[in-house]
Amino acid sequence: MSLARFVLRRVLQGLFVIWGVITVVFALRFVTPGSPVDAVAPLDASPELRARIAQELGLDQPIYVQYVDYLFGLLQGDMGYSYISGTPAAVRVFARLPATIELAVAATLVALVFSIPLGVISATRRHKPADYAATSFSLVGISTPNFWLGIMLILIVSVNLGLLPTSRRPIGLLPALELLVFQLEVTGVRTWIAHMILPALTLGTYFTALIVRLTRSGMLDELGKSYVRATRAKGLPETLVRYKHVLRNTLIPIVTILGLQLGTLIGGAVITEFVFSWPGLGTLVINAITSRDWTIIQGSLIVIGAGFVIVNTAVDVLYATINPQVIYD
Amino acid sequence: MAPERRGRAVGRRTYLRFAGAATASAMLAGCLDGEDPDDPDDVADDDADPDTDDADTDDDDDPDTEDDDASVTITQGQFASTLDPQDHRETPTDNVILQAYEGLLDREPDGTIREGLATDWEYIDEQEGQVRFEFREDVTFHNGDEMTMDDVAFSILRVVDPDVGIVSPQADQLAGVVDAEPDGENAVVVTSDGVNPMVFGNFASYCQVMQESWVEEAGDEVGQDINGTGPYRLEEFTEDEFARFVVYDDYWGDEVEVEEVVYDAASESSTRVNSLLAGESDVVESVPPQDAPRVEDEDGTRIEAVPSTRVLFMPMRNNVEPFDSLEFRQAMNYAIDLETIIDEILAGFGDPTGQPTLEGYVGYNEEIEPYPYDPDTAEELVEESGYSDAEIELHAPAGRYLGDIEIAQAVSGYIDDLPNVSCELEQREFGSLADEILDGDLDTSPEFFMIGWGNTTFDASQTIIPWFGEGTATQAFVDEEVYGLIDEAQNEADEETREETLRETNEYLNEQAPWVFLNRQYSVYGISDRLDWEARQDEHILAKEMGLQ
Repeated sequence: MSLARFVLRRVLQGLFVIWGVITVVFALRFVTPGSPVDAVAPLDASPELRARIAQELGLDQPIYVQYVDYLFGLLQGDMGYSYISGTPAAVRVFARLPATIELAVAATLVALVFSIPLGVISATRRHKPADYAATSFSLVGISTPNFWLGIMLILIVSVNLGLLPTSRRPIGLLPALELLVFQLEVTGVRTWIAHMILPALTLGTYFTALIVRLTRSGMLDELGKSYVRATRAKGLPETLVRYKHVLRNTLIPIVTILGLQLGTLIGGAVITEFVFSWPGLGTLVINAITSRDWTIIQGSLIVIGAGFVIVNTAVDVLYATINPQVIYD
Repeated sequence: MAPERRGRAVGRRTYLRFAGAATASAMLAGCLDGEDPDDPDDVADDDADPDTDDADTDDDDDPDTEDDDASVTITQGQFASTLDPQDHRETPTDNVILQAYEGLLDREPDGTIREGLATDWEYIDEQEGQVRFEFREDVTFHNGDEMTMDDVAFSILRVVDPDVGIVSPQADQLAGVVDAEPDGENAVVVTSDGVNPMVFGNFASYCQVMQESWVEEAGDEVGQDINGTGPYRLEEFTEDEFARFVVYDDYWGDEVEVEEVVYDAASESSTRVNSLLAGESDVVESVPPQDAPRVEDEDGTRIEAVPSTRVLFMPMRNNVEPFDSLEFRQAMNYAIDLETIIDEILAGFGDPTGQPTLEGYVGYNEEIEPYPYDPDTAEELVEESGYSDAEIELHAPAGRYLGDIEIAQAVSGYIDDLPNVSCELEQREFGSLADEILDGDLDTSPEFFMIGWGNTTFDASQTIIPWFGEGTATQAFVDEEVYGLIDEAQNEADEETREETLRETNEYLNEQAPWVFLNRQYSVYGISDRLDWEARQDEHILAKEMGLQ
């Protein structure tokens, strides 16, 4: 199978999954108690007024009609209007997306910067203090809940030491870069970094710990293989053996995990966003659930689901490209 | 280490300028949806102060610039859901929009009615429910236009008449009002469908005045911008994130000390508290009782607590067993140690109640005491009720009210401690619980549940009618005698007689024990010492009432 056909097949599979997500998310509203009318009607609303509100919201139609309308709306980029604020759901959801993506990518970068060197050190200094330190960190990192870690970081780094801001995101990455490029103003980028550090550390810690373990075990696996003995016998310096040959082969499964985890991070940043008042999709979903704002809940979940599918599809393609052993099947 | 105001890692001006950049991004997103960014009504910051939008401003690293000194940041648990003052029913939204919008009447922090845009108000005909409001003449909207009586009448009708613009969720809060018409140059006559003893109280709490032509022009964007008459005008707004107001120079009223006010939100309570301690916020709401000592102990911050207009209670549906028994319902009240709950769970931030009406409200009966803790009496009453060995389930929300789930756990524990009743706690997501309660069908409500009710009208009827009136969405108790008492109070034009009827209703309800009576919730604020501010009972946080040290 050619690469193009492989990509086409994966994209079609992805679209099928997204349709599934849309259908499940749409159905959710009908299996939960209550009606969106309750959120907008006055407490003393007469049955006639409630019926009128339901009609205005399109809720008086049979479910299948609502479903088809919703699907057609989505195809045109219309996710409906927020029941609470009356604004287009798509605008609110997509306005939140950059913050979540920034956080997920920053957390991934944090993980990569710390985890791969730690994993390599751990594998190459097996059963030495550095290895024990790295594996201990890994164990603690995997076991620490994001919620607790975030609050502790705020308390120590922001409140007690006064080094970084506690929460919020006063500027996004793009506006910060615009300021830098067009007005030579560095404060924007500096502020973005200052506000990003703690959330990225919080979200990235679990990921870091995971990749440290993965790198360590992968490296140990590769180091025991015969091609490593051959490269050493050839007289290659140890650094070259470790980093050019061994680490490179170890990176293949790490790339897969990276992709999968990036998708997870986009959906899983909810708690971190909540703790840091980060204006991303996570806080939007939580607030929408609190106020039963179904159009926002549905829109956000669909975007998160679609993001997961897109990242996974991209990883599959990338994996097939960088690993010649993979057969397009 | 005591945090000084060094906590502002970013100067406030810098923060706001950046937020302006974020608004620009939001505009871009809006364009993608086919909206016109050039439309003056599309966004709030079209007339943005060039000082704040201009990038090459003063030293951004200095956290305490002169401008910052007169600027106040208020962090709520939830941000405003809309900027339309008549299309919501949440206090956090009120807090944001009431910086800029004003109503016909206003209230003192203790709830007393005072002048608002209207300077005089009187009954024309009490039996017909017709009243007249006279307005001040020097009022202008933030776009510079004068406020007219047509605007006032339109604003009232927009709330009560679904055919005028929107179906306002506040319609029940002006219950009874059916019409409003200008009466000369500076007065409006409001007509109700009969006697309306609550009319002035309701107008002191609800119905902000909007400009008719502006609302019609803004169309769907009316919730994205503000054109009020208040002391602050909206300068910047990013949906779900923050709103910044600056002083409106042509305001009719007294000058305000705070020149700039920023509202934002942090859902997590510890984040709000930490934000205050780090000097990033000046006022944070809903400080958890366990965090109050931390705020008090820090230099530069303090706690302000005030009894709020919200009462917590646990309705028992009397159309099902075992709650159809008066003895059983009373037993549930005797079974719980309310004083201990308030001391231990709420750290004293609460007052025990024994009637639906709060102290200080019209109709409050000062002779009624909360039920005492008496498990022996509770046990006997359960035996008398004939429901010995009853198994009941308490549905309670978590995280909605101060200490809600902990209180519910304690109540369920006390009841379960009775040898002849077992009680289980069902923790519920608030939205789904509210849906079951508000769907207008009594039989779909849980049989025994916990809820809170805010009543900012300072009148007993606005708690009693929704919960005990016939056929209301929140009715949870069916009793013909209460219906009669409500009718009597609502059709009584004489204030004293009406108040006596309401007192009598409260006494009857105390005896009937339709609820497990809990506590009056306190509003607990963390405040920077640089602010002078008296917290209000109605939970409103108004920058115009703040002073700076």
